[in-house]
Amino acid sequence: MSDAAVKQNTVFVRPASSFWGGETPVAVVVFLGLALLPLFAGGYPVYILPQYLLFGLLALSLGLLWGFAGIVSFGQAAFFAFGGYAMGLVLQAGLGPEGTWLAIAVATLVGGLLAGISGYFLFSAGVRATYFVLITLALSIIAEQVAVSQSQITGGWNGMFVDRLSLGFGPLGEVALYQDVAAYYFVLPVVAAVYFAARALTVARFGKILVGIRENEDRMEALGYQPWVYKTVAFSLSGAIAGLAGGLYASHSNFVSPSLAGVLFSTEVVVWVALGGRLSLFGALAGGVLVSALSNYLSSIAPQYWQLIVGLVFICVIVFFKQGLAGLFADLAAHMLPRRPGGQRHG
Amino acid sequence: MAELLRTSGLTKRFRGLVANEDIDFSLDAGAVHCVIGPNGAGKTTFLSMISGHLPPSAGTISYKEKDITALSVAERARIGIGRKFQTPTVFENLTVWQNIELAVLRPGGSAGTPAAKIADVLEAIRLTDEVDTLVRHLSHGQRQWLEIGLLLGNESELLLLDEPTAGMTAEETAATGELVSRLARERSLSVIIIEHDINFIRDLRAPVTVLHLGRILKQGPFDVIAADEQVREVYLGS
Repeated sequence: MSDAAVKQNTVFVRPASSFWGGETPVAVVVFLGLALLPLFAGGYPVYILPQYLLFGLLALSLGLLWGFAGIVSFGQAAFFAFGGYAMGLVLQAGLGPEGTWLAIAVATLVGGLLAGISGYFLFSAGVRATYFVLITLALSIIAEQVAVSQSQITGGWNGMFVDRLSLGFGPLGEVALYQDVAAYYFVLPVVAAVYFAARALTVARFGKILVGIRENEDRMEALGYQPWVYKTVAFSLSGAIAGLAGGLYASHSNFVSPSLAGVLFSTEVVVWVALGGRLSLFGALAGGVLVSALSNYLSSIAPQYWQLIVGLVFICVIVFFKQGLAGLFADLAAHMLPRRPGGQRHG
Repeated sequence: MAELLRTSGLTKRFRGLVANEDIDFSLDAGAVHCVIGPNGAGKTTFLSMISGHLPPSAGTISYKEKDITALSVAERARIGIGRKFQTPTVFENLTVWQNIELAVLRPGGSAGTPAAKIADVLEAIRLTDEVDTLVRHLSHGQRQWLEIGLLLGNESELLLLDEPTAGMTAEETAATGELVSRLARERSLSVIIIEHDINFIRDLRAPVTVLHLGRILKQGPFDVIAADEQVREVYLGS
Protein backbone atom coordinates (compact mmCIF):
# COMPACT_ATOMS: atom_id res chain seq x y z
CA MET A 1 0.00 0.00 0.00
CA SER A 2 1.36 3.42 -0.90
CA ASP A 3 2.09 6.08 1.71
CA ALA A 4 -0.62 8.28 0.24
CA ALA A 5 -3.17 5.54 0.62
CA VAL A 6 -2.09 4.89 4.19
CA LYS A 7 -2.35 8.57 5.02
CA GLN A 8 -5.80 8.68 3.49
CA ASN A 9 -6.92 5.74 5.57
CA THR A 10 -5.41 6.98 8.81
CA VAL A 11 -7.58 10.08 8.60
CA PHE A 12 -10.47 8.00 9.86
CA VAL A 13 -8.68 5.04 11.42
CA ARG A 14 -7.39 7.14 14.27
CA PRO A 15 -6.20 5.62 17.55
CA ALA A 16 -9.16 5.00 19.85
CA SER A 17 -7.75 6.74 22.91
CA SER A 18 -5.35 9.51 23.71
CA PHE A 19 -3.97 11.10 26.85
CA TRP A 20 -5.85 14.38 26.44
CA GLY A 21 -9.15 12.75 25.50
CA GLY A 22 -11.84 11.43 27.82
CA GLU A 23 -11.37 11.97 31.52
CA THR A 24 -8.10 13.96 31.50
CA PRO A 25 -9.65 17.46 31.11
CA VAL A 26 -12.04 16.66 33.98
CA ALA A 27 -9.12 15.58 36.14
CA VAL A 28 -7.16 18.76 35.29
CA VAL A 29 -10.10 20.95 36.30
CA VAL A 30 -10.68 19.04 39.55
CA PHE A 31 -6.99 19.13 40.55
CA LEU A 32 -6.82 22.87 39.77
CA GLY A 33 -9.95 23.42 41.85
CA LEU A 34 -8.44 21.45 44.72
CA ALA A 35 -5.26 23.53 44.43
CA LEU A 36 -7.32 26.67 45.05
CA LEU A 37 -9.28 25.20 47.96
CA PRO A 38 -7.00 26.39 50.82
CA LEU A 39 -7.48 29.97 49.56
CA PHE A 40 -11.18 29.74 50.38
CA ALA A 41 -11.43 27.11 53.10
CA GLY A 42 -9.17 26.30 55.99
CA GLY A 43 -9.26 24.19 59.09
CA TYR A 44 -10.74 20.70 58.94
CA PRO A 45 -11.18 20.34 55.14
CA VAL A 46 -7.53 21.22 54.52
CA TYR A 47 -6.47 18.84 57.29
CA ILE A 48 -8.59 15.86 56.21
CA LEU A 49 -8.58 16.13 52.40
CA PRO A 50 -5.01 14.83 51.97
CA GLN A 51 -6.01 11.67 53.80
CA TYR A 52 -9.02 11.20 51.51
CA LEU A 53 -6.79 11.91 48.51
CA LEU A 54 -4.41 9.19 49.68
CA PHE A 55 -7.33 6.79 50.01
CA GLY A 56 -8.14 7.88 46.47
CA LEU A 57 -4.59 7.00 45.43
CA LEU A 58 -5.04 3.59 47.03
CA ALA A 59 -8.27 3.17 45.03
CA LEU A 60 -6.40 4.25 41.88
CA SER A 61 -3.84 1.50 42.52
CA LEU A 62 -6.67 -1.04 42.39
CA GLY A 63 -8.37 0.75 39.48
CA LEU A 64 -5.21 0.34 37.41
CA LEU A 65 -5.18 -3.37 38.15
CA TRP A 66 -8.88 -4.17 38.06
CA GLY A 67 -10.03 -1.78 35.36
CA PHE A 68 -7.22 -2.35 32.89
CA ALA A 69 -5.85 -5.84 33.57
CA GLY A 70 -9.10 -7.31 34.90
CA ILE A 71 -7.39 -8.45 38.10
CA VAL A 72 -9.33 -8.00 41.33
CA SER A 73 -7.08 -7.76 44.38
CA PHE A 74 -8.20 -7.88 48.00
CA GLY A 75 -4.57 -7.34 49.00
CA GLN A 76 -4.21 -3.62 48.37
CA ALA A 77 -4.59 -2.79 52.07
CA ALA A 78 -1.60 -5.01 52.85
CA PHE A 79 0.65 -2.97 50.53
CA PHE A 80 -0.83 0.26 51.92
CA ALA A 81 -0.16 -0.73 55.54
CA PHE A 82 3.32 -2.11 54.85
CA GLY A 83 4.13 1.17 53.07
CA GLY A 84 3.01 2.94 56.24
CA TYR A 85 5.16 0.77 58.51
CA ALA A 86 8.15 1.16 56.17
CA MET A 87 7.73 4.93 56.27
CA GLY A 88 7.59 4.89 60.07
CA LEU A 89 10.63 2.62 60.46
CA VAL A 90 12.84 4.64 58.10
CA LEU A 91 11.80 7.91 59.75
CA GLN A 92 12.63 6.38 63.16
CA ALA A 93 16.18 5.73 61.91
CA GLY A 94 16.77 9.48 62.29
CA LEU A 95 18.32 10.18 58.91
CA GLY A 96 17.22 13.82 58.97
CA PRO A 97 15.26 15.75 56.34
CA GLU A 98 17.26 14.24 53.46
CA GLY A 99 16.31 10.78 54.76
CA THR A 100 12.65 11.65 54.20
CA TRP A 101 13.05 11.05 50.48
CA LEU A 102 14.53 7.66 51.30
CA ALA A 103 11.54 6.90 53.54
CA ILE A 104 9.13 7.76 50.72
CA ALA A 105 11.13 5.61 48.29
CA VAL A 106 11.28 2.67 50.71
CA ALA A 107 7.52 2.83 51.38
CA THR A 108 6.91 2.74 47.62
CA LEU A 109 9.44 -0.04 47.07
CA VAL A 110 8.08 -2.21 49.89
CA GLY A 111 4.60 -2.13 48.37
CA GLY A 112 5.99 -2.76 44.89
CA LEU A 113 8.27 -5.59 45.96
CA LEU A 114 5.64 -7.38 48.04
CA ALA A 115 3.24 -7.24 45.11
CA GLY A 116 5.96 -8.08 42.59
CA ILE A 117 7.18 -11.18 44.44
CA SER A 118 3.70 -12.54 45.14
CA GLY A 119 2.56 -11.63 41.62
CA TYR A 120 5.54 -13.38 40.04
CA PHE A 121 4.84 -16.68 41.78
CA LEU A 122 1.08 -16.52 41.27
CA PHE A 123 0.91 -15.34 37.66
CA SER A 124 3.82 -17.46 36.39
CA ALA A 125 2.06 -20.48 37.91
CA GLY A 126 -1.08 -19.59 35.93
CA VAL A 127 -3.20 -18.53 38.93
CA ARG A 128 -6.16 -16.58 37.55
CA ALA A 129 -9.54 -15.05 38.37
CA THR A 130 -11.26 -16.32 41.53
CA TYR A 131 -8.21 -18.22 42.74
CA PHE A 132 -6.14 -15.04 42.56
CA VAL A 133 -8.82 -13.12 44.50
CA LEU A 134 -8.81 -15.77 47.24
CA ILE A 135 -5.03 -15.67 47.52
CA THR A 136 -5.01 -11.87 47.81
CA LEU A 137 -7.61 -12.21 50.58
CA ALA A 138 -5.21 -14.56 52.35
CA LEU A 139 -2.43 -12.02 51.75
CA SER A 140 -4.40 -9.38 53.67
CA ILE A 141 -5.02 -11.78 56.55
CA ILE A 142 -1.32 -12.70 56.68
CA ALA A 143 -0.28 -9.03 56.54
CA GLU A 144 -2.59 -8.15 59.42
CA GLN A 145 -1.33 -11.09 61.49
CA VAL A 146 2.30 -10.15 60.82
CA ALA A 147 1.57 -6.57 61.88
CA VAL A 148 0.00 -7.86 65.12
CA SER A 149 2.54 -10.56 65.93
CA GLN A 150 5.69 -8.53 65.24
CA SER A 151 4.75 -6.05 67.95
CA GLN A 152 8.39 -5.26 68.85
CA ILE A 153 8.68 -3.66 65.39
CA THR A 154 5.14 -2.61 64.57
CA GLY A 155 3.71 -1.86 68.01
CA GLY A 156 1.12 -4.63 67.59
CA TRP A 157 -2.50 -3.57 68.12
CA ASN A 158 -1.28 -0.30 69.63
CA GLY A 159 0.02 0.69 66.22
CA MET A 160 3.04 2.80 65.32
CA PHE A 161 3.43 6.54 65.60
CA VAL A 162 4.72 8.07 62.38
CA ASP A 163 5.93 11.65 62.38
CA ARG A 164 4.94 14.25 59.78
CA LEU A 165 7.48 14.62 57.00
CA SER A 166 10.16 17.26 56.75
CA LEU A 167 11.59 17.41 53.24
CA GLY A 168 15.29 18.19 52.87
CA PHE A 169 16.51 20.11 49.83
CA GLY A 170 20.26 20.08 50.58
CA PRO A 171 21.79 23.55 50.76
CA LEU A 172 18.39 25.12 50.03
CA GLY A 173 17.13 24.02 53.42
CA GLU A 174 14.06 22.01 54.35
CA VAL A 175 10.30 22.22 54.12
CA ALA A 176 8.42 20.86 57.12
CA LEU A 177 4.93 19.49 56.53
CA TYR A 178 3.73 19.97 60.11
CA GLN A 179 1.33 22.68 58.98
CA ASP A 180 -1.79 21.30 57.34
CA VAL A 181 -1.58 23.70 54.41
CA ALA A 182 2.02 22.64 53.68
CA ALA A 183 1.03 18.97 53.90
CA TYR A 184 -1.92 19.65 51.60
CA TYR A 185 0.29 21.26 48.97
CA PHE A 186 2.65 18.29 49.13
CA VAL A 187 0.07 15.50 48.96
CA LEU A 188 -2.10 17.08 46.24
CA PRO A 189 0.67 17.36 43.58
CA VAL A 190 1.95 13.87 44.45
CA VAL A 191 -1.53 12.39 43.94
CA ALA A 192 -2.00 14.41 40.74
CA ALA A 193 1.43 13.37 39.42
CA VAL A 194 0.78 9.67 40.10
CA TYR A 195 -2.66 9.96 38.49
CA PHE A 196 -1.31 11.60 35.31
CA ALA A 197 1.60 9.12 35.13
CA ALA A 198 -0.81 6.20 35.49
CA ARG A 199 -3.13 7.78 32.93
CA ALA A 200 -0.24 8.15 30.48
CA LEU A 201 0.68 4.52 31.07
CA THR A 202 -2.82 3.29 30.36
CA VAL A 203 -3.08 5.04 26.99
CA ALA A 204 0.44 3.88 26.03
CA ARG A 205 1.34 0.46 24.64
CA PHE A 206 1.48 -1.09 28.13
CA GLY A 207 -2.08 -0.05 28.96
CA LYS A 208 -3.40 -1.32 25.65
CA ILE A 209 -1.77 -4.69 26.26
CA LEU A 210 -3.32 -4.86 29.74
CA VAL A 211 -6.74 -4.20 28.20
CA GLY A 212 -6.08 -6.99 25.70
CA ILE A 213 -5.24 -9.34 28.56
CA ARG A 214 -8.40 -8.28 30.39
CA GLU A 215 -10.51 -8.93 27.33
CA ASN A 216 -9.00 -12.20 26.11
CA GLU A 217 -5.86 -13.54 27.76
CA ASP A 218 -5.69 -16.66 25.60
CA ARG A 219 -5.81 -14.62 22.38
CA MET A 220 -3.04 -12.37 23.67
CA GLU A 221 -0.89 -15.43 24.27
CA ALA A 222 -1.63 -16.66 20.76
CA LEU A 223 -0.49 -13.24 19.47
CA GLY A 224 2.94 -13.71 21.08
CA TYR A 225 2.48 -11.95 24.41
CA GLN A 226 3.36 -13.47 27.77
CA PRO A 227 0.41 -12.23 29.85
CA TRP A 228 1.91 -13.27 33.18
CA VAL A 229 4.83 -10.86 32.68
CA TYR A 230 2.52 -7.88 32.05
CA LYS A 231 0.25 -8.89 34.93
CA THR A 232 3.22 -9.13 37.28
CA VAL A 233 4.44 -5.67 36.23
CA ALA A 234 0.93 -4.22 36.64
CA PHE A 235 0.54 -5.80 40.07
CA SER A 236 3.98 -4.48 41.12
CA LEU A 237 3.08 -0.96 39.98
CA SER A 238 -0.23 -1.21 41.75
CA GLY A 239 1.52 -2.36 44.94
CA ALA A 240 4.06 0.46 44.66
CA ILE A 241 1.30 3.08 44.34
CA ALA A 242 -0.52 1.54 47.32
CA GLY A 243 2.76 1.54 49.30
CA LEU A 244 3.40 5.20 48.47
CA ALA A 245 -0.17 6.11 49.47
CA GLY A 246 0.19 4.14 52.71
CA GLY A 247 3.51 5.77 53.59
CA LEU A 248 2.17 9.28 53.06
CA TYR A 249 -1.07 8.44 54.84
CA ALA A 250 0.76 7.09 57.91
CA SER A 251 2.85 10.25 58.06
CA HIS A 252 -0.13 12.55 57.57
CA SER A 253 -2.34 10.81 60.14
CA ASN A 254 0.68 10.16 62.41
CA PHE A 255 -0.41 6.56 62.80
CA VAL A 256 -0.41 3.11 61.23
CA SER A 257 -2.06 0.04 62.75
CA PRO A 258 -2.79 -3.60 61.76
CA SER A 259 -6.40 -2.83 60.82
CA LEU A 260 -5.09 -0.87 57.82
CA ALA A 261 -3.67 -4.15 56.45
CA GLY A 262 -6.77 -6.23 57.00
CA VAL A 263 -9.47 -7.80 54.88
CA LEU A 264 -12.15 -5.30 55.96
CA PHE A 265 -10.15 -2.32 54.75
CA SER A 266 -9.19 -4.17 51.56
CA THR A 267 -12.87 -4.82 50.91
CA GLU A 268 -13.60 -1.11 51.38
CA VAL A 269 -11.05 -0.35 48.66
CA VAL A 270 -12.85 -2.71 46.27
CA VAL A 271 -16.13 -0.93 47.11
CA TRP A 272 -14.57 2.50 46.45
CA VAL A 273 -13.38 1.42 43.03
CA ALA A 274 -16.66 -0.27 42.10
CA LEU A 275 -18.59 2.85 43.10
CA GLY A 276 -16.20 5.26 41.41
CA GLY A 277 -15.94 3.21 38.22
CA ARG A 278 -13.32 0.59 37.63
CA LEU A 279 -12.86 1.39 33.93
CA SER A 280 -11.73 4.93 34.72
CA LEU A 281 -8.64 5.81 36.73
CA PHE A 282 -10.15 9.13 37.73
CA GLY A 283 -13.39 7.36 38.64
CA ALA A 284 -11.47 5.03 40.96
CA LEU A 285 -9.59 7.97 42.49
CA ALA A 286 -12.79 9.96 42.97
CA GLY A 287 -14.50 6.86 44.40
CA GLY A 288 -11.77 6.56 47.03
CA VAL A 289 -12.03 10.23 47.99
CA LEU A 290 -15.81 10.55 47.97
CA VAL A 291 -16.77 7.24 49.57
CA SER A 292 -14.17 7.51 52.33
CA ALA A 293 -15.38 11.07 53.00
CA LEU A 294 -19.01 9.89 52.96
CA SER A 295 -18.17 6.99 55.28
CA ASN A 296 -16.43 9.36 57.68
CA TYR A 297 -19.38 11.74 57.65
CA LEU A 298 -21.97 8.98 58.09
CA SER A 299 -19.98 7.37 60.90
CA SER A 300 -20.14 10.66 62.80
CA ILE A 301 -23.90 11.20 62.37
CA ALA A 302 -25.06 7.56 62.36
CA PRO A 303 -22.33 5.51 64.01
CA GLN A 304 -24.47 2.36 64.15
CA TYR A 305 -25.84 2.46 60.63
CA TRP A 306 -23.19 4.03 58.41
CA GLN A 307 -21.83 0.71 57.11
CA LEU A 308 -25.37 -0.37 56.30
CA ILE A 309 -25.96 2.85 54.34
CA VAL A 310 -22.66 2.50 52.42
CA GLY A 311 -23.56 -1.14 51.71
CA LEU A 312 -26.95 -0.16 50.31
CA VAL A 313 -25.36 2.52 48.11
CA PHE A 314 -22.89 -0.12 46.90
CA ILE A 315 -25.68 -2.55 45.99
CA CYS A 316 -27.65 0.18 44.17
CA VAL A 317 -24.63 1.24 42.13
CA ILE A 318 -23.73 -2.36 41.23
CA VAL A 319 -27.32 -3.11 40.19
CA PHE A 320 -28.13 0.11 38.34
CA PHE A 321 -24.74 1.56 37.29
CA LYS A 322 -22.33 -1.30 36.63
CA GLN A 323 -19.64 1.11 35.41
CA GLY A 324 -19.90 3.16 38.62
CA LEU A 325 -20.14 6.93 38.85
CA ALA A 326 -17.57 7.41 36.07
CA GLY A 327 -19.71 5.32 33.74
CA LEU A 328 -22.79 7.32 34.71
CA PHE A 329 -21.05 10.63 33.95
CA ALA A 330 -19.62 9.23 30.70
CA ASP A 331 -23.13 8.22 29.61
CA LEU A 332 -24.48 11.68 30.51
CA ALA A 333 -21.64 13.33 28.58
CA ALA A 334 -22.30 11.06 25.59
CA HIS A 335 -25.94 12.19 25.54
CA MET A 336 -25.06 15.85 25.83
CA LEU A 337 -22.11 15.94 23.43
CA PRO A 338 -22.18 15.13 19.67
CA ARG A 339 -21.89 11.38 19.16
CA ARG A 340 -19.04 9.68 17.34
CA PRO A 341 -19.46 6.36 15.57
CA GLY A 342 -18.42 3.22 17.41
CA GLY A 343 -17.56 2.86 21.04
CA GLN A 344 -14.56 3.34 23.23
CA ARG A 345 -13.73 1.55 26.40
CA HIS A 346 -11.19 4.08 27.57
CA GLY A 347 -11.12 7.62 26.47
CA MET B 1 10.06 -23.58 -2.78
CA ALA B 2 11.82 -23.98 0.58
CA GLU B 3 10.26 -26.17 3.23
CA LEU B 4 8.62 -24.14 6.00
CA LEU B 5 7.08 -26.74 8.29
CA ARG B 6 7.68 -30.42 8.92
CA THR B 7 6.11 -32.79 11.40
CA SER B 8 7.74 -36.16 11.98
CA GLY B 9 5.98 -39.03 13.71
CA LEU B 10 3.64 -36.56 15.39
CA THR B 11 1.44 -38.39 17.87
CA LYS B 12 -1.08 -37.29 20.48
CA ARG B 13 -2.71 -39.61 22.95
CA PHE B 14 -5.34 -38.61 25.48
CA ARG B 15 -5.00 -41.49 27.93
CA GLY B 16 -6.35 -44.44 25.94
CA LEU B 17 -7.52 -42.38 22.97
CA VAL B 18 -5.15 -41.86 20.05
CA ALA B 19 -6.08 -38.48 18.50
CA ASN B 20 -3.10 -38.29 16.10
CA GLU B 21 -0.66 -41.04 15.27
CA ASP B 22 2.64 -40.91 13.46
CA ILE B 23 1.82 -37.92 11.26
CA ASP B 24 4.55 -37.03 8.79
CA PHE B 25 3.63 -33.81 7.06
CA SER B 26 5.49 -31.04 5.30
CA LEU B 27 4.52 -27.64 3.92
CA ASP B 28 6.50 -25.38 1.61
CA ALA B 29 6.77 -21.64 2.12
CA GLY B 30 3.96 -19.83 0.28
CA ALA B 31 1.85 -22.98 -0.09
CA VAL B 32 -1.82 -23.48 0.80
CA HIS B 33 -2.85 -26.91 2.10
CA CYS B 34 -6.23 -28.26 3.18
CA VAL B 35 -6.79 -30.82 5.91
CA ILE B 36 -10.10 -32.66 5.78
CA GLY B 37 -11.61 -35.64 7.53
CA PRO B 38 -14.71 -36.75 9.39
CA ASN B 39 -15.48 -35.41 12.88
CA GLY B 40 -13.06 -36.85 15.40
CA ALA B 41 -10.37 -37.51 12.77
CA GLY B 42 -7.86 -35.41 14.75
CA LYS B 43 -7.69 -32.30 12.54
CA THR B 44 -7.92 -29.70 15.30
CA THR B 45 -5.53 -31.71 17.48
CA PHE B 46 -3.03 -31.63 14.63
CA LEU B 47 -3.28 -27.80 14.37
CA SER B 48 -3.11 -27.45 18.14
CA MET B 49 0.19 -29.32 18.25
CA ILE B 50 1.62 -27.07 15.54
CA SER B 51 0.47 -23.90 17.32
CA GLY B 52 1.72 -25.17 20.68
CA HIS B 53 -1.69 -25.38 22.36
CA LEU B 54 -1.21 -29.13 22.86
CA PRO B 55 2.13 -30.85 23.56
CA PRO B 56 2.68 -33.92 21.38
CA SER B 57 2.97 -37.32 23.05
CA ALA B 58 5.67 -38.25 20.52
CA GLY B 59 7.28 -36.85 17.40
CA THR B 60 8.81 -33.51 16.46
CA ILE B 61 7.78 -30.28 14.74
CA SER B 62 10.31 -28.21 12.84
CA TYR B 63 9.73 -24.71 11.45
CA LYS B 64 12.24 -23.11 9.12
CA GLU B 65 14.50 -26.12 9.86
CA LYS B 66 14.49 -25.48 13.62
CA ASP B 67 12.96 -27.86 16.14
CA ILE B 68 10.10 -25.96 17.80
CA THR B 69 8.49 -28.90 19.61
CA ALA B 70 9.31 -27.45 23.04
CA LEU B 71 8.35 -23.82 22.30
CA SER B 72 5.34 -22.21 23.99
CA VAL B 73 2.31 -20.77 22.19
CA ALA B 74 3.64 -17.21 22.55
CA GLU B 75 7.11 -18.17 21.33
CA ARG B 76 5.66 -19.85 18.25
CA ALA B 77 3.50 -16.79 17.56
CA ARG B 78 6.59 -14.60 17.70
CA ILE B 79 8.42 -16.68 15.10
CA GLY B 80 5.48 -16.45 12.72
CA ILE B 81 2.97 -19.21 13.47
CA GLY B 82 -0.53 -17.74 13.74
CA ARG B 83 -3.65 -19.63 14.77
CA LYS B 84 -7.26 -18.89 13.88
CA PHE B 85 -9.59 -20.88 16.09
CA GLN B 86 -12.77 -22.72 15.17
CA THR B 87 -14.84 -20.13 17.07
CA PRO B 88 -13.62 -16.60 16.28
CA THR B 89 -11.30 -15.67 19.16
CA VAL B 90 -11.14 -11.90 19.01
CA PHE B 91 -11.52 -9.01 21.46
CA GLU B 92 -15.31 -8.67 21.44
CA ASN B 93 -15.51 -5.50 23.54
CA LEU B 94 -12.88 -3.56 21.60
CA THR B 95 -13.15 -1.85 18.24
CA VAL B 96 -11.86 -3.34 15.01
CA TRP B 97 -8.98 -0.85 15.12
CA GLN B 98 -8.06 -1.78 18.68
CA ASN B 99 -8.11 -5.48 17.79
CA ILE B 100 -5.62 -5.11 14.96
CA GLU B 101 -3.55 -2.68 17.02
CA LEU B 102 -3.01 -5.38 19.69
CA ALA B 103 -1.75 -7.73 17.00
CA VAL B 104 0.55 -5.07 15.53
CA LEU B 105 2.03 -4.10 18.92
CA ARG B 106 3.30 -7.62 19.68
CA PRO B 107 6.81 -7.99 21.14
CA GLY B 108 9.48 -8.25 18.48
CA GLY B 109 7.29 -6.94 15.68
CA SER B 110 8.92 -5.23 12.73
CA ALA B 111 9.67 -1.51 12.74
CA GLY B 112 7.17 0.86 11.19
CA THR B 113 4.23 3.05 12.10
CA PRO B 114 1.50 1.01 13.79
CA ALA B 115 -1.18 3.16 12.11
CA ALA B 116 0.16 2.33 8.65
CA LYS B 117 0.32 -1.38 9.43
CA ILE B 118 -3.20 -1.39 10.85
CA ALA B 119 -4.54 0.44 7.79
CA ASP B 120 -2.81 -2.10 5.56
CA VAL B 121 -4.40 -5.04 7.40
CA LEU B 122 -7.86 -3.45 7.39
CA GLU B 123 -7.53 -2.96 3.64
CA ALA B 124 -6.56 -6.62 3.18
CA ILE B 125 -9.51 -7.98 5.16
CA ARG B 126 -11.93 -5.39 3.72
CA LEU B 127 -12.95 -3.94 7.08
CA THR B 128 -11.90 -0.32 6.54
CA ASP B 129 -15.53 0.81 6.91
CA GLU B 130 -15.85 -0.87 10.31
CA VAL B 131 -12.78 0.63 11.93
CA ASP B 132 -14.62 2.14 14.91
CA THR B 133 -17.18 -0.65 15.25
CA LEU B 134 -17.16 -2.72 18.39
CA VAL B 135 -16.36 -6.27 17.37
CA ARG B 136 -19.43 -7.70 19.08
CA HIS B 137 -21.50 -5.74 16.57
CA LEU B 138 -19.80 -7.35 13.54
CA SER B 139 -21.37 -10.19 11.59
CA HIS B 140 -20.04 -13.71 12.16
CA GLY B 141 -18.23 -13.63 8.83
CA GLN B 142 -16.60 -10.28 9.59
CA ARG B 143 -15.37 -11.66 12.92
CA GLN B 144 -13.79 -14.59 11.07
CA TRP B 145 -11.99 -12.17 8.74
CA LEU B 146 -10.96 -10.00 11.66
CA GLU B 147 -9.30 -12.99 13.28
CA ILE B 148 -7.38 -13.59 10.05
CA GLY B 149 -6.51 -9.87 10.22
CA LEU B 150 -5.07 -10.42 13.69
CA LEU B 151 -2.67 -12.94 12.19
CA LEU B 152 -1.70 -10.50 9.42
CA GLY B 153 -1.10 -7.71 11.95
CA ASN B 154 0.92 -10.17 13.98
CA GLU B 155 3.13 -10.75 10.92
CA SER B 156 2.41 -14.48 10.90
CA GLU B 157 4.00 -16.33 8.01
CA LEU B 158 2.16 -19.60 8.59
CA LEU B 159 -1.59 -19.24 9.06
CA LEU B 160 -3.37 -22.14 10.76
CA LEU B 161 -7.03 -21.66 9.92
CA ASP B 162 -9.50 -23.91 11.72
CA GLU B 163 -12.79 -23.94 9.79
CA PRO B 164 -12.61 -20.31 8.62
CA THR B 165 -15.96 -20.50 6.79
CA ALA B 166 -17.96 -22.11 9.59
CA GLY B 167 -21.33 -20.35 9.93
CA MET B 168 -20.77 -18.15 6.86
CA THR B 169 -23.21 -17.34 4.09
CA ALA B 170 -22.37 -18.48 0.57
CA GLU B 171 -21.16 -14.97 -0.33
CA GLU B 172 -18.98 -14.78 2.77
CA THR B 173 -17.54 -18.23 2.05
CA ALA B 174 -16.62 -17.20 -1.49
CA ALA B 175 -15.03 -13.98 -0.19
CA THR B 176 -13.04 -15.97 2.37
CA GLY B 177 -11.71 -18.27 -0.35
CA GLU B 178 -10.71 -15.22 -2.37
CA LEU B 179 -9.04 -13.70 0.72
CA VAL B 180 -6.99 -16.83 1.47
CA SER B 181 -5.86 -17.17 -2.14
CA ARG B 182 -4.96 -13.48 -2.28
CA LEU B 183 -2.94 -13.63 0.95
CA ALA B 184 -0.95 -16.61 -0.31
CA ARG B 185 -0.43 -15.02 -3.73
CA GLU B 186 0.32 -11.41 -2.78
CA ARG B 187 1.97 -11.83 0.62
CA SER B 188 3.62 -15.23 0.10
CA LEU B 189 1.96 -16.57 3.24
CA SER B 190 1.66 -20.28 3.93
CA VAL B 191 -1.72 -21.58 4.99
CA ILE B 192 -3.03 -24.80 6.50
CA ILE B 193 -6.83 -24.90 6.44
CA ILE B 194 -9.16 -27.30 8.14
CA GLU B 195 -12.47 -27.23 6.29
CA HIS B 196 -15.64 -29.23 5.83
CA ASP B 197 -17.02 -27.23 2.88
CA ILE B 198 -16.04 -29.34 -0.13
CA ASN B 199 -16.90 -26.59 -2.64
CA PHE B 200 -14.64 -24.18 -0.78
CA ILE B 201 -11.78 -26.69 -0.82
CA ARG B 202 -12.28 -27.43 -4.53
CA ASP B 203 -12.23 -23.74 -5.40
CA LEU B 204 -8.96 -23.22 -3.50
CA ARG B 205 -7.21 -25.68 -5.85
CA ALA B 206 -4.85 -26.62 -3.04
CA PRO B 207 -3.39 -30.02 -2.12
CA VAL B 208 -5.41 -31.97 0.42
CA THR B 209 -4.53 -34.25 3.32
CA VAL B 210 -7.25 -36.57 4.56
CA LEU B 211 -7.12 -37.59 8.21
CA HIS B 212 -9.01 -40.63 9.43
CA LEU B 213 -8.90 -42.01 12.97
CA GLY B 214 -5.89 -39.80 13.70
CA ARG B 215 -3.77 -41.03 10.82
CA ILE B 216 -3.10 -39.73 7.33
CA LEU B 217 -5.37 -41.64 4.98
CA LYS B 218 -4.46 -39.93 1.70
CA GLN B 219 -2.63 -36.88 0.37
CA GLY B 220 -2.81 -35.31 -3.06
CA PRO B 221 -4.59 -32.86 -5.36
CA PHE B 222 -8.30 -32.32 -4.72
CA ASP B 223 -9.46 -34.08 -7.89
CA VAL B 224 -7.49 -37.22 -7.07
CA ILE B 225 -8.65 -37.19 -3.44
CA ALA B 226 -12.27 -36.58 -4.42
CA ALA B 227 -12.16 -39.58 -6.78
CA ASP B 228 -10.51 -41.92 -4.27
CA GLU B 229 -12.81 -44.78 -3.26
CA GLN B 230 -11.42 -45.09 0.25
CA VAL B 231 -11.79 -41.33 0.92
CA ARG B 232 -15.32 -41.33 -0.46
CA GLU B 233 -16.17 -44.22 1.83
CA VAL B 234 -14.84 -42.74 5.10
CA TYR B 235 -15.51 -39.05 4.52
CA LEU B 236 -17.48 -38.07 1.50
CA GLY B 237 -19.98 -40.83 2.22
CA SER B 238 -20.59 -42.06 -1.31
